[in-house]
Amino acid sequence: MAKIRVADIAHGRSGDKGDTCNVGLVAYDDRGFELLKRHVTEERVKDHFGSLVKGTVSRYEMPNIKSFNFVLTRALDGGGTMSLRSDHLGKVMYAWLLRMEIEE
Amino acid sequence: MKQTVRLGAGMAFWGDSVQPAIQMVERGEIDYLCCDHLAELTMSILSKQKAKDPRFGYTRDIVDLLRGALPTCVAKGVKVVTNAGGANPRACAERIAELARELGLSGLKIACVLGDNIEDDIDRLMGEGVPFANMDTGQELAAVRERLTHACVYTGCEGIVESLEAGADIVVCGRVTDIALYLGPLIYEFGWARDDWQRLGMATIVAHCIECGGQATGGLYAGGWQDMEGLEELGYPIAEFSNDGTAVVTKTPGSGGRVDIGTVSEQLIYEILDPGNYLTADVTADFTNVTLEEVGPDRVRISGGVGRPAPATLKVNMGYRAGFIGEAQFTYTWPDAYDKAVRGMAFLRNRLKRAGFKYEDDIVEYIGWNSMFEDRIGPPEDPELMEIVVRYAARCTDAKEARKVFTECVPLYNNGPAGVAGVGTRPPLKELFALWPCLVPREYIKQSIKIVEV
Repeated sequence: MAKIRVADIAHGRSGDKGDTCNVGLVAYDDRGFELLKRHVTEERVKDHFGSLVKGTVSRYEMPNIKSFNFVLTRALDGGGTMSLRSDHLGKVMYAWLLRMEIEE
Repeated sequence: MKQTVRLGAGMAFWGDSVQPAIQMVERGEIDYLCCDHLAELTMSILSKQKAKDPRFGYTRDIVDLLRGALPTCVAKGVKVVTNAGGANPRACAERIAELARELGLSGLKIACVLGDNIEDDIDRLMGEGVPFANMDTGQELAAVRERLTHACVYTGCEGIVESLEAGADIVVCGRVTDIALYLGPLIYEFGWARDDWQRLGMATIVAHCIECGGQATGGLYAGGWQDMEGLEELGYPIAEFSNDGTAVVTKTPGSGGRVDIGTVSEQLIYEILDPGNYLTADVTADFTNVTLEEVGPDRVRISGGVGRPAPATLKVNMGYRAGFIGEAQFTYTWPDAYDKAVRGMAFLRNRLKRAGFKYEDDIVEYIGWNSMFEDRIGPPEDPELMEIVVRYAARCTDAKEARKVFTECVPLYNNGPAGVAGVGTRPPLKELFALWPCLVPREYIKQSIKIVEV
């Protein structure tokens, strides 16, 4: 099966709430939404972020806007104000999820 | 009663450009300009400013904004609702009154909303059984009590409604929620009941979408930034609310950016947790079945939101001093740019060790290579790599230790591997403030208002 990246079927945005990071994905079309639903699971996302996310991953669905919200806990090295990372507010975490490879 | 109430989002954070708000007042035909100036720990900084000088402690960008916008607001009857009051809404209202006089304006009522600051009430409330335990860790407040910088409650919109009922033209709040800045005017204009959860919940979703300003109109757009025109003069969003709480989101006419399903979707999913349970001081909103429809150029209708009763507790925003970050970075060039940077980093860490460096945690980032995604990215394999920037940062409990990071990296200029530049001058130390998230039952918190007349 051919591999594609999440970026081929969706765009996204990420941000912070304390040490929790949220990554929203918006599918470009219905087929993309179905692919996200099937392949971009909590387990796959947790594995994809690896050591960047020390807590849990929860996925929420907003079907009418073809979107999923991923909530990543303990994901920002202590949170926006404490983090040593350059991306202390999690603004680019979405890009890492867009790079994830899935089966078409 | 108005059929439609038009609320404009004037600011997204302290320090945001004031031009979009000024343009919106001039060209946007809005009824209210709603300005959010407070991020999670802005209150730490503002409390510090207030402690130094009781005339300060608010975000002073509101003065720049109103200097440009207030004459037009008065001429067109646009009211302003802002949380720029920060740690000192009274001083902010007084300063705005002074500005109005400077501008030759009179007949204005400026209300300030008080009651969010509970710094002086902590002991009393703890005595009455509010533990203020950390929501995330369960830890007792005693662990950080001595280091607290501020304590304020994310309060709702009742003080804003009361201010508008008292005839206020400008409402200056402290730590009310971003959402309250929008719900206040809507409750006042439409006469919604405070437990009309459906309308409040629906309107909350729209407010969430626009309260970060340019992020709803093309700013940070990942779904095709290449085609986004006019980012330099991005128009900020305006929501035209109907009495049922639904709204059409648009932006200042003739401004840059775009409002379409893509830009609105990206912002709807920004900084939310469970979309089925979005908690605010005024209502719980459910985004799950939110629906978008393009109803014209730069016009998107938002509907399908659901509201439920507000939570029994309010979130408290406390901050405490948590040490300092010491930081340094330098650039290595070809040949062997990456290997030299790794050696330079070993040099710095060895020197720090000899200097008896005490730190809690540290990080090494190779900027231009893996600074955003850390060990998710392996070392660069390209021997032709022209340059790499290496950044080291460490969290220390005291300032003296944090300063060592820079002093110990300075010898890299002469004593480390060849081909290094960009060490730069001594960076200012960054003091850290940590969040202490906790809750307070809502019956303990009472807002009050005070009106300043010009």
